[in-house]
Amino acid sequence: MVINETADVAIPELAGVQRRAFAVGAVAALVSAIGLFVNVDQFLQSYLMAFMWCLGVTLGCLALGMVHQLSGGAWGVVLRRPIGAAARVLPVMTALFLPIVVGARHLYIWTHADVVAADEALQHKQLYLNTPFWIVRAILYFAVWNALSYVLNRWSAEQDRTADPRIARKMQLVSAGGLVAYGVTITFASFDWLMSLEPRWYSTIYGVLVMGGQGLSALAFLIVTIVWLSRRAPLDRIIVASHFHDVGNLMLAFVMLWAYFSFSQYLIIWAGNLPAEIAWYQHRLQTGWRAVGVALVLFHFAVPFVLLLSRVIKRTPDLLVKVALGVLFVRLIDLFWLIAPEFHMQGLAISWLDVALPIALAAVWLGCFVRQLRGRAILPVHDPQFDEALGRIIERGAPPRTRTSEP
Amino acid sequence: MDPLNPLAPPSEGPEAIHKVPATPPVIAPGHTFGTVTDKISSIVLTRKTPLGWWLGFGLASMFTFLLMMSLTYLVVKGIGIWGNNIPVGWAFDITNFVWWIGIGHAGTLISAILLLLKQTWRTSINRFAEAMTLFAVACAGIFPLFHTGRPWLAYWLIPYPNTMNVWPQFRSPLIWDVFAVSTYATVSALFWFVGLIPDLATLRDRSQSRAGRVIYGMLAMGWRGSSHHWHRYETAYLLLAGLATPLVVSVHTVVSFDFAISILPGWHTTIFPPYFVAGAIYSGFAMVLTLAIPIRAVYGLEDFITMRHIQNMAKVMLVTGLIVAYGYGVEAFMAWYSADKFESFVPLNRFTGPYWPFYWGLLACNIVLVQSLWIRRVRTNVVVLFIIALIVNVGMWLERFIIIVTSLHRDFAPSSWGMFNATFWDWSTYFGTIGLFLALLFLFLRFLPMISIAEMRAILPEARLDDDIRVI
Repeated sequence: MVINETADVAIPELAGVQRRAFAVGAVAALVSAIGLFVNVDQFLQSYLMAFMWCLGVTLGCLALGMVHQLSGGAWGVVLRRPIGAAARVLPVMTALFLPIVVGARHLYIWTHADVVAADEALQHKQLYLNTPFWIVRAILYFAVWNALSYVLNRWSAEQDRTADPRIARKMQLVSAGGLVAYGVTITFASFDWLMSLEPRWYSTIYGVLVMGGQGLSALAFLIVTIVWLSRRAPLDRIIVASHFHDVGNLMLAFVMLWAYFSFSQYLIIWAGNLPAEIAWYQHRLQTGWRAVGVALVLFHFAVPFVLLLSRVIKRTPDLLVKVALGVLFVRLIDLFWLIAPEFHMQGLAISWLDVALPIALAAVWLGCFVRQLRGRAILPVHDPQFDEALGRIIERGAPPRTRTSEP
Repeated sequence: MDPLNPLAPPSEGPEAIHKVPATPPVIAPGHTFGTVTDKISSIVLTRKTPLGWWLGFGLASMFTFLLMMSLTYLVVKGIGIWGNNIPVGWAFDITNFVWWIGIGHAGTLISAILLLLKQTWRTSINRFAEAMTLFAVACAGIFPLFHTGRPWLAYWLIPYPNTMNVWPQFRSPLIWDVFAVSTYATVSALFWFVGLIPDLATLRDRSQSRAGRVIYGMLAMGWRGSSHHWHRYETAYLLLAGLATPLVVSVHTVVSFDFAISILPGWHTTIFPPYFVAGAIYSGFAMVLTLAIPIRAVYGLEDFITMRHIQNMAKVMLVTGLIVAYGYGVEAFMAWYSADKFESFVPLNRFTGPYWPFYWGLLACNIVLVQSLWIRRVRTNVVVLFIIALIVNVGMWLERFIIIVTSLHRDFAPSSWGMFNATFWDWSTYFGTIGLFLALLFLFLRFLPMISIAEMRAILPEARLDDDIRVI
């Protein structure tokens, strides 16, 4: 049966996509490298944004995969292989974190001894915000994420090979603990890498906000992937409208969650209007950055929210993929909003590196992702829920879907 | 699992050989439309009221009288009979309000969100969870209403053009609470009643007494079970579920704003909205388990409320308990990280201040104990689960008490610090609402079907249509 073959054999186009992605990545990386000599500070700021964007998809996929192990559902069976492939890009993401470690002095003001010496609050925080501990924590986060991804992917491959039903149970146990570990590590990682850009500011919801954003990035990316896959054999006969409907609903839920977290943070800080907290919004909302904030309200919440309410859009892959691509893009804008204003408090400032570096990292990431995707069968045929989710569709042989038809 | 019938008990296939624990079914095998209807409706339609019911209802009514007495005395004397006073202006009243509102959330989550997520296991617990929501909201409403001191003027909270030219302060979260809670009560009541209509018709048709036929007949609103009726009913029910879904989040979010919008250390923190919602669902599921475990044993409903339900609820409790623990952790870390001496003082005061036993107790009840739910044997032992659920109820009450009282009693200037001591009337009002809640629950169990007969019939294998229809 064709779905038992590796994706490489079943979907020959993947090799070309990988090649093109790496080519684009190489060119964009070379161009971006010029920035390193022109303006190191700007390079690192844009790099952090691009890195967090790709990391969001990677970790979001890892977390969604673990959620699916526990919750079940047909949506996850169809997505499991893209989820696994995305999580397997983690070693590359780990390596790509090194420039941030090397360039930490250009990004984090608390690494400067003279600044800390002049600020009582930063002295207090030095116990946590100091370079050695910051590096140790980063090593710990990446160790946890890589370990989870490695173990779950290895078992998943073993499940493919042996069809041993005990593996599913083992994966559930690791996923339960893994989600707790992910929740804790990403919270502190978001404090370390993003919140500490403005070390005097703090918000307890920040970790949750970043988590919600990662889930949304991952879902948007996965939708793009399965729409692409569903246009080709063998998945054109397997992925049906109800699968898109389910993931579309999930994306809608994450759009609302992100908006809920963001609005809660804003309302509480605005109402309190305390000097330590409001500064963060002041240099975002009382300068040219306000336009970005308004754009986020509109395009990170209002527009995708309204579009995703529509049943037709969720069930029509060609429309859903447009919403998903838009969401992926505004995810980058959201990270821009979190990072860039810290360095340009006077007003909106966009560098060409804010464009070049996301392209470079995303293309490299995509190349690695496709490479991982090619290595395994495109469906987890021995997933315990496989029969329930897809058995009947495969048995009956759903007609190959034409572009916009509605079954 | 049998792909054609996911609700059937798992077959003794390779799973059994490898000793993978099987998932219990959502309804015990062997039931038909007739047996389900007989079993559930007979509890209501039996002529003889069991003695145990009279005892339980009697005891609950005694506490309801205590509530009425306490409230009467409060109206006569004023809210000075309670222990709250400056600096602790909110104490038992708002603690109990938040506690009751939180308990209600499990009902809405089960009935609305799990319905939209197509979780069939919700079916046998949704009816009494919704009833629990209504009664909990009724108990919750009593506290802020009487804390106004002049409950007969409570309508001033509603914005309407009046000759006094007085408008509520729209920037105050307390006024948002009025809207959030009243919407919640209205939608929950509607949802519950709409869901009841087909069952009320069943009771009307089966009732042996004239009074039963007339009363259930009027409540059934002319339901005849035609396909038109069913079609409209299903549409209305889904729409109401959609309307109720945001309420699961919005109500407790607004409740959290009551605190977070202020600038009081311990109250003003951005994690409050999601953390309050998780805490609400946590306490709500604890209450559903507290009620479901004895009810299924007493009324012999183990076939309908199976171990599947019990285990799933235990899992929801574990997940929400972990989110609550996350909230405590982040709050404590950020109190230190903020480098603000008032913020840092909050956890210090909670751990070592005069209310330390409450705080340590809350950590034990809400965080430590619930970790035992990781173990399957604990999740499948109803007695242990019942005890855990009871303790979580206590823990969640302590949480609200700690948040409210410890933040207020020592805020900024030590010269204005003070202590809160509960009076007899604080306790009597609190226990009185528990009595009211249970009394209403006993009435519900006696006079209305506690499990949805119509929905239970729909999940039987008999009711399943050609499966192909469901694929697309």
